Amino acid sequence: MKMLTKIALVLLPAMTLAMTANAHDPKLHAKKAEKADCSKMDHSKMDMKDPVAIAMMKKCMKQAEKAKSAMDHSKMDHSKMKKNEHKTKKKKGDNEHNH
Amino acid sequence: MKSLKLLLLLAVVGLGSVATVMYSGIVNVAADEPHSDLVFWLLAETRENSIKKAAQHIAVPDLSDPELLLTGGVDYEYMCSSCHLKPGQHESDMSLGLYPAPPNLTTANKGHLGHEHGDDGQAARKNFWVIKHGIKASGMPAWGKTHDDHRIWAMVAFLKQLPTLTPEQYQVLTAID
Repeated sequence: MKMLTKIALVLLPAMTLAMTANAHDPKLHAKKAEKADCSKMDHSKMDMKDPVAIAMMKKCMKQAEKAKSAMDHSKMDHSKMKKNEHKTKKKKGDNEHNH
Repeated sequence: MKSLKLLLLLAVVGLGSVATVMYSGIVNVAADEPHSDLVFWLLAETRENSIKKAAQHIAVPDLSDPELLLTGGVDYEYMCSSCHLKPGQHESDMSLGLYPAPPNLTTANKGHLGHEHGDDGQAARKNFWVIKHGIKASGMPAWGKTHDDHRIWAMVAFLKQLPTLTPEQYQVLTAID
């Protein structure tokens, strides 16, 4: 009986402390840079005279343009790339020859 | 002569009382122990009247430009939301721990207890002044030391729209480009 009381005396404060620690979610302090989630925007319901709606459209358009330009390969200069590749190969070849 | 002596005595007693309170350590400065109603009222009235007087001559620019919401939104998310909350949020570590509790700016002005905001112009002037200069011993920083007026007005414009925003709208407006 005495042993049980002792265990209870140790366990109860320990459990209370553990619960207090869990109640504080460290995620609350984490600030991550998030991209705008434009998938939930319902354009049909948006009033285009409302500054909030206009601002949201601007933000989403900017984000879409950025994503597009990041994926746009048409601006890549393939001729230069080939030249560089050719030069690199040539240099490698020269080096090999020197050896 | 008698009245002069009495005045001198009162001044000494007054200063002695103040010094006793200061140096005895009897004033509890813990933030988890609220002020008495009288002290709270005295401090709140002093604060509100000070802000009202200091902000009365500030000219409010046009705050309808949607671009302001984008600048102000990002700043609000990173500088203010941890204390003043965001749509759909009811409390945070800071909103619970700070004393006096920072106002929940996601609710309309009418919902703020203890002080009046006045009309839109007056509310904008007061918000601008508070963001720029901060409030002593309240946890509210003076953002004017590191942010120019244009950026502070953008935050004021965002605050005007904040109570009307849904969590989804807030997420889009405050996200980083």
